[in-house]
Amino acid sequence: MSLNKCLEIFLKYWPSFLLGIKTTLFVSLIGTIIGLLIGLLVGGLRAINVDDNSSKLKKFLKKIFNLISTLYIEIFRGTPMMVQAVFIYYLVYTNIIPWDKVVAAIFVISINTGAYMSEIVRSGIQAVDVGQKEASRALGVSNIDTMLHVILPQAIKNAFPAIGNEFIVNIKDSSVLMIISITELMFQSNSIAGTTYRFSETYFVTACIYLLMTSIASFILHKIEKSLSHTTTSLPQSDTNFSSISLAKEENS
Amino acid sequence: MSIIEIKDVKKNFHNLEVLKGVSFNVEKGEVVSIIGPSGGGKSTLLRCLNCLETYDSGSIKVIGEDLKEIKDMNSFRQKVGMVFQQFNLFANMNVLNNCIFAQTKALKRNKDEAKKIALENLQKVGMEKFINAYPNTLSGGQKQRVAIARAISMNPEILLFDEPTSALDPEMVEEVLNVIRSLVNKGLTMIIVSHEIDFVRDISDKIIFMDDGIVAESGSPKEIFTNPKNERTKVFLRKVIRN
Repeated sequence: MSLNKCLEIFLKYWPSFLLGIKTTLFVSLIGTIIGLLIGLLVGGLRAINVDDNSSKLKKFLKKIFNLISTLYIEIFRGTPMMVQAVFIYYLVYTNIIPWDKVVAAIFVISINTGAYMSEIVRSGIQAVDVGQKEASRALGVSNIDTMLHVILPQAIKNAFPAIGNEFIVNIKDSSVLMIISITELMFQSNSIAGTTYRFSETYFVTACIYLLMTSIASFILHKIEKSLSHTTTSLPQSDTNFSSISLAKEENS
Repeated sequence: MSIIEIKDVKKNFHNLEVLKGVSFNVEKGEVVSIIGPSGGGKSTLLRCLNCLETYDSGSIKVIGEDLKEIKDMNSFRQKVGMVFQQFNLFANMNVLNNCIFAQTKALKRNKDEAKKIALENLQKVGMEKFINAYPNTLSGGQKQRVAIARAISMNPEILLFDEPTSALDPEMVEEVLNVIRSLVNKGLTMIIVSHEIDFVRDISDKIIFMDDGIVAESGSPKEIFTNPKNERTKVFLRKVIRN
């Protein structure tokens, strides 16, 4: 393998690589976002506790939901995404509707990611101190408002590193979607390698591109994570003065 | 009619009987303190009053409503404020928004009105300079003052205090007690679970001494502190006053 040859391949075939990069990023980004939405819904519902004073119907629905969601999570975490991709793609294609491959790819990534995200979101929710939920309920705020404005913002912040990680995993793992021949990076690389017969050089370029994409993504995610934790640095300037004023006030009274 | 009527309330946690038949009434505008040794059921009873906890038998009526038959839990809870031992401020909101959130979401007040009320109350508790601060930058005493402002911003009829100073460093206890003192005589009914004996003697109209799941003794502060009749009250007071 020579680096010169690698460069040559990249310069000659960059439009193909570029198309691959575009598809990979598109599919994994959209898939992660939809997966996160699925995770918020499933994880959020899983985190709801039923207690003794919930109605019978509520308890029953919760049980059914738990069963279905557990099945969903176990099945999609327990089988390879490659298998899910071929199975779902051909199942729908031959039995229901001849759908677009990119749509199929996004669908598969979304529900696969959703299974992981559900658990990530659930653990993020459970990490939020219960006292805040109690306080909100004690103020007469509805369950839904409490969830949307108190619990979820903090849960997402807690879980952000894990959520970002899913995106990076998806950039890499979308490579298995070449099995349904969408034009993502791995599929493009295969065609290039097939025409040049320079396998190690081509895949070296591919590896470099993946590494570059994940590095950039991880850099951006890190920035976002930092901006989410701005809440720790807003100390009012009058802090030290104030405590002495309040002490003086108390002495007077 | 009393604003709170508690009749023979019993509650078990699995096999542990925490409330063994508690009965007492609270009149509108009264300040009632519940004292007694840890594990006596004080906090559990308090948490039953706004339905954070359920009870097994007996009856509790709050503002004329039987707690077992409440249809609109949220609007009931808006009338019964609570201040927690652990403050429980919303960590994702600054001080001002902590006080505005429930006003706009639960009482459906508009933003400007809610802000005005929140600022007024933050001023009352001496936290108006910290409206942009987030809870994790505040001291315990400051957090508890914000929590009190948050609770009174809802204009509740009853305010419950669940050991409001127990999680505080000693030097911060006084600032919180002063804030609670300032709320007395505003027509607000207050029920305070506290271990601050001098404080409850000062401000209470009535003292309830709870031990082992029952009301062992109740009466005016004078009766309880100068002339306790129940043996358990005597033992308890001897302990806490010596400390």
